[in-house]
Amino acid sequence: MTPPPLTRKTLALVFLALWALVLGTTLIGFIDLGQYNIVVSVAFAAIQALLIALFFMQALYEGRIIRIIITGGIVWFLIMETLTLGDYMTRGWLPFPGK
Amino acid sequence: MSEPVLVGNQLLELREQFENPEQQRETASIGMWVFLITEVMMFGGLFTAFTVYRLSNPAAFNEGSKEMTIVLGAINTALLILSSFTMALAVYSSSIGKTKLLAIFLIITMIIGLCFLGIKFTEYYLHYQDHKVPGFWFEYHGPSARQVQMFFVFYFILTGLHVIHMTIGIGILLVMLYRTLLGSFSATYHTAVDLAGIYWSFVDIIWIFLYAIFYIPGLHLK
Repeated sequence: MTPPPLTRKTLALVFLALWALVLGTTLIGFIDLGQYNIVVSVAFAAIQALLIALFFMQALYEGRIIRIIITGGIVWFLIMETLTLGDYMTRGWLPFPGK
Repeated sequence: MSEPVLVGNQLLELREQFENPEQQRETASIGMWVFLITEVMMFGGLFTAFTVYRLSNPAAFNEGSKEMTIVLGAINTALLILSSFTMALAVYSSSIGKTKLLAIFLIITMIIGLCFLGIKFTEYYLHYQDHKVPGFWFEYHGPSARQVQMFFVFYFILTGLHVIHMTIGIGILLVMLYRTLLGSFSATYHTAVDLAGIYWSFVDIIWIFLYAIFYIPGLHLK
């Protein structure tokens, strides 16, 4: 798929979308969603991060090597996050004799 | 030895290890992205530590979040997004050779960055007055005072690290402005501005996540 041409209009639309997302994050924060408040706010943040990376940082317009580097970085971060949280969240699930 | 190559109407220094200016630009860009990945791992480690502590004390961390001044946080987030937009416009202006516009957008971006820092330090001062700086000065009345203090430990470490990055970013933009005024950039050569733009937007992304984890979770308790 061909990315939209990077014009001032594209940048302005992304900017307005980002402001709308910040407003949305803040307003949803006032609703009590229990433990999901932070999940929703981080999800909104991830969408904003994606928009900034693709358009403001022009990742969408970079070559294949840079796209691989970015994807690799995100994958390594997710490995760190998943393994660490997997460890902490499952401690105590198995009975260890003597503990 | 560098070999001068005529690109457009400007002599561009092409280092001997590169075939052409485009390859040289992409190599510089790869360098910046690899650096940013190391930054992701650094901030990512701290975010992971925050998540581990938050999972153990969700209620206390929400109480800590309740102490944040949402108006200042929201204004700062909006400001930083605006600065990313003006920086993107600076990069765009340099790519079409409009160096006057490039200088103007760099100055606007720096001013917004300074406003962000001003508001951030105001917030720090309010926390100080409110006895929310971790240490012997810290005060919180409630059964989970220690856990709330832990929330503020993460808050000050992560936002402090972000402030350092912002300050470095403003320094980089100053250098870009100086080089723009010297006439170093044109439509055919603007790699340094591109890289500064990538760095600045990355610092914005970090703040957006900080806003999401520190300011929002306690909002519904207000």
